Amino acid sequence: MTGGHVETSKIRDAGDVEQAVRAAIASEQPLEIVGHGSKRLIGQPMTTNALLDLSELNAVVAYEPNELIITVQAGAPLADVLSLIDSKNQQFAFEPINTSALLGTPDIGTIGGMIGAGLAGPRRIRAGGARDHLLGAHAVSGFGDSFKAGGKVVKNVTGYDLCKLLAGSWGTLAVMTEVTLKVMPRPESERTLLLRGLDDATANRAMTAALGSPFDVSGAAHLPASAFRADISGLADIGPAGQAITLLRLEGITASAVHRAAALAALLAPFGAADTVQDTGSAAIWRSIRDVKPFAAAGALGAWPVWRIVCPPAAGGALGQALSRGTGGDVVYDWGGGLIWAALPPKPDAQAAVVRAQVDAAGGHATLIRASEQVRRNVDVFHPQPGGLARLSERVRHGFDPKNILNRGRMTRGAAT
Amino acid sequence: MTIRMPASDQAVLARRDDIVAALRAIVPGEGVIDSAAEMVPYESDGLMAYRQPPMVVVLPGTTEQVSQVLKYCFEQGIKVVPRGSGTSLSGGALPLADGVLLGLGKFKRIREIDFDNRVVVTEPGVTNLAISQAVAHAGFYYAPDPSSQIACSIGGNVAENSGGVHCLKYGMTTNNVLGCEIVLITGEIIKVGGKSAETSGYDLMGIITGSEGLLGVITEVTVRILQKPETARALMVGFAEVEAAGECVARIIGAGIIPGGMEMMDRPAIHAAEAFVHAGYPLDVEALLIIELDGPGIEVDELISRVEAIARGCGSTTLQISTSEVERNLFWAGRKAAFPAVGRISPDYLCMDGTIPRGKLPEALARIRGLSERYGLRVANVFHAGDGNLHPLILYDANKPGEMDKAEAFGADILRVCVELGGVLTGEHGVGVEKRDLMPEMFSEIDLNQQQRLKCAFDAQGLLNPGKVFPTLHRCAELGRVHVHGGKLAFPDLPRF
Repeated sequence: MTGGHVETSKIRDAGDVEQAVRAAIASEQPLEIVGHGSKRLIGQPMTTNALLDLSELNAVVAYEPNELIITVQAGAPLADVLSLIDSKNQQFAFEPINTSALLGTPDIGTIGGMIGAGLAGPRRIRAGGARDHLLGAHAVSGFGDSFKAGGKVVKNVTGYDLCKLLAGSWGTLAVMTEVTLKVMPRPESERTLLLRGLDDATANRAMTAALGSPFDVSGAAHLPASAFRADISGLADIGPAGQAITLLRLEGITASAVHRAAALAALLAPFGAADTVQDTGSAAIWRSIRDVKPFAAAGALGAWPVWRIVCPPAAGGALGQALSRGTGGDVVYDWGGGLIWAALPPKPDAQAAVVRAQVDAAGGHATLIRASEQVRRNVDVFHPQPGGLARLSERVRHGFDPKNILNRGRMTRGAAT
Repeated sequence: MTIRMPASDQAVLARRDDIVAALRAIVPGEGVIDSAAEMVPYESDGLMAYRQPPMVVVLPGTTEQVSQVLKYCFEQGIKVVPRGSGTSLSGGALPLADGVLLGLGKFKRIREIDFDNRVVVTEPGVTNLAISQAVAHAGFYYAPDPSSQIACSIGGNVAENSGGVHCLKYGMTTNNVLGCEIVLITGEIIKVGGKSAETSGYDLMGIITGSEGLLGVITEVTVRILQKPETARALMVGFAEVEAAGECVARIIGAGIIPGGMEMMDRPAIHAAEAFVHAGYPLDVEALLIIELDGPGIEVDELISRVEAIARGCGSTTLQISTSEVERNLFWAGRKAAFPAVGRISPDYLCMDGTIPRGKLPEALARIRGLSERYGLRVANVFHAGDGNLHPLILYDANKPGEMDKAEAFGADILRVCVELGGVLTGEHGVGVEKRDLMPEMFSEIDLNQQQRLKCAFDAQGLLNPGKVFPTLHRCAELGRVHVHGGKLAFPDLPRF
C-alpha cells in the first residue's frame, strides 16, 4: 500500500486468480489480496502496487440449512451471508468480529476476509474459532495452481487439514476462491448476567468459576471501570458508566437459559448480586463486546493503538491489570480472560516492548490490531515466535508460496524486501 | 495384502546390528527390542489384515531420547514409524521392514491438571479415557470419545484427529486440542500452542492434528476439558424404512437441535448387536436411531419431547425414552458393541469409514445394499448419523481364497460412492495404508501435491511414516519448483484497471 500507480486485477473466477498469480510470478510482482478492504489496516504495511480484487467473486454457491453447511465464493459480502443464514435461524457460531468500528472503516468485509483474519468473537470459548468452522476451501497457491482443501461435510480426516492453515493466514498462503463453512442453529433465547464493581483479578476469578461450571456459559467478558463509558453503543442501557461490569452469557432454549442463568447467579453469589438482561438487550451487549466498541475509532480512545492479546484465561486478570497500570492504558476482557483488548497511550512502538515482555511471561501472544502505518512499520504486528517455530512456519509458507507473491510481508516484518 | 509399501533400503537392512547398537546407546535397557519374537506385538495395529515386522522397535522414555533417536535416523537416512497404542483402524502404525518403530508407550504420565484454565497437559501415551478419569472428581471430562477410548492414546488421537459418538456436538480431536510438543525428524523439539485458545501465527496445531505421524512425533499434548453436562437421556427409535430414519435425522437437525449423539444402525447390525448384548433392541425394524440429548434436566426434557414429536411425525414404529442411567447405557450397549457383535457372526469383517452429506443417507444405504448383492458379501451398517459418518462393516472369511480381496474391493467401492455423493473417504479413522490408494478419488494431483509440500516443510527427506496417506511420493525439490506458464502476459483477457 505505497503511493503511486496501483494496478488492480478484478477477478471473476478461480481461473482468473490462477492467471493473475502466474502473471505476478512471471513479473515478480507481489499481490495484495483484497475483498472489500475492510481489514487492510491490519498487518505489517505491504509494499505492493498490485491488487487482486475478489469482490466480484461473490456468489452463494449452495446453502443447505439441513446439512448445516454453506458454500460461498470468497468475495461474498459477509453482511449478505449473515442475513441469509439468519433467515433460516442459523449463524456462524464463532461470532466473527465486525472490525469496522474498531478500525474506522465503513464496511464489514467479505467471507474471505473473515476466514483470512480468523477473528472470532465471544462465543469462541464454547464454539471454537473460524478455523473450527471452515470445512473446505478452493484456493490458488503461490504456485498459481488452484487446489482443494477439506470437503463439504462436517466430519472429515482425509489428508492434511489445510483449512486450519488457511484460516487466520491473512492471505499469505493462498487466495481462497470458495469456502464451505459450518453453520449452526441460532439459540432461541439468551440471558446475560451482570456483576458490578469487581476489580480485574476478582472478575477473572468470577469468570473462571462460571466457565468451570456445568452451565454452558457462551460469553464471559469484563469491562473495567475506566473502559466502561456512557457513550458505548450497546452498553448504554446496562447501568451507570464508570463502574466495572462483568458479563456472562447463557444461550439455548428459553427454559434452559432461564434455568442456567438462575443457577449461575446462585453460584456467583459470593461475587455479588447479579442483574439479568435478556434477548435483544443481551445481544446488543455482546455485539458491543465482540466488536470492541469501547475502543471504537470514533470514540474517546480512537487514536490509541489497540492490541489483541490471547493468553491462558486464568492469567488474563493479572496480565490486563499489569498492562493497564504499567502503561496508563485501558483493557477489555473477553473469553473469560483469555482475550484481552488493550488500548494503550500512543508511543512510537505502541508500547510493544512492554506488551510483549508481559504477554510472553503470561504464556500468551499479542497482535497489534490497530496502529498507524508508521507505527506498524516500527514493530512486529504479529507476535514474534521462537526460532524453531518461526523457521517451521516460514517453511510452511514457502510450501504454499515460494516466490512470496501473496500479501508479501503482511505477517512478518522484514519479509517485505 | 494388496497394498505396496516403499521398497526396503537394503543398505539400511545390512547395517541393522549397528543401528540397534546405536539406538541402545540412546535408549538403554529394555527400550530397544530387536528379537523377532518380542517384536510380534508390534507387527500390526487395529487394521489386522496387514502385518509387517519392523526392523527394530525403540521405546524412548523422554523427549530428549525421542529427539536423539530421530536425529540419528535422520542422519542415517532411516525410516521411522511412530506408534501410540496401536489401535489405528487404517494401518497408520503399520511398520516397515527397514524402519524403526518408535513406540510412545512409556509416555504415560499426566503432567498437569489445570482446572482454572480448563486444560490437561499430558504425555502422549496416556489413554483417552484416563484423561477423563483424572478430572472426573471435579466434574470435568475430555469430550472426544473414540470407541477405543479405553486403549487408544491421546498422542494417537491427535495424530489421527479421532472422533467418536459425541463429536457431533463437541467436535473432533482438532477442536479440543490447544497445544503440543512435537519432535521433528531432525530431532528439533518444537512447542506449538499451549493453554491459550489460539496459537500465534499459522495454525500448525491444526495441521499436526490428523497428520497421521507424517509430520513429527508428538511428545506432549495440551487438551481442553469440559464440565460434564448435568444430565443425559436417550431415545431409541425404530423405523420400518431406512428413508424414514434418514428423514428423522434431517428434521431434528433442521429444527435446530444438535444432539449429544445421534447414531443409526441397520437391520443386520441391530440383530448382531441384540444377539450379543441383549439391549432390548426391536428386531422387526429396518433402522434404529439412538438419539442422546444432554444438558440441564429442564433442557433435556424439553428437547426429548421435541425429538419424540419429530420421530413420530416421521413414522417411527417403536420409540423408547430412557428413564434411568441404567436404561440409557443399555440403549448404548448394543451400539458400542456393534463391532465385536458383528465379529461374532462372521469370521472377519472390514470396517469402512466414509462420510456423506446427511441427506444422502438413504441413497448411500441403497447403493451399499446393491454392492453387497453384487459382491455376494454381507454388510452391516452403523452410522454416526448426525454427521453423516458411515461405518459399513463388510463381512467376509479370510480363509476363503480371494474373499479378502473381494471385501477390499467392495469397501473401496463404498468409499467411491461416498465421494460421489459429495462426501469424503474417511470421517475419523484416517487414510493410513487402507485408503491411501483411493486418495485420487477425492483429490487431484495438484491437491495432493499441495498437501505433500506441507510434508516437505516438516520432513523433506520423507523419512517419517512413508507409505501412508499418499499413493505416490514426490521429491520435495520437484514439488518446490514454480512453473510459469507461457511467459509474461499470457492472459490478455484478464481485466486490468
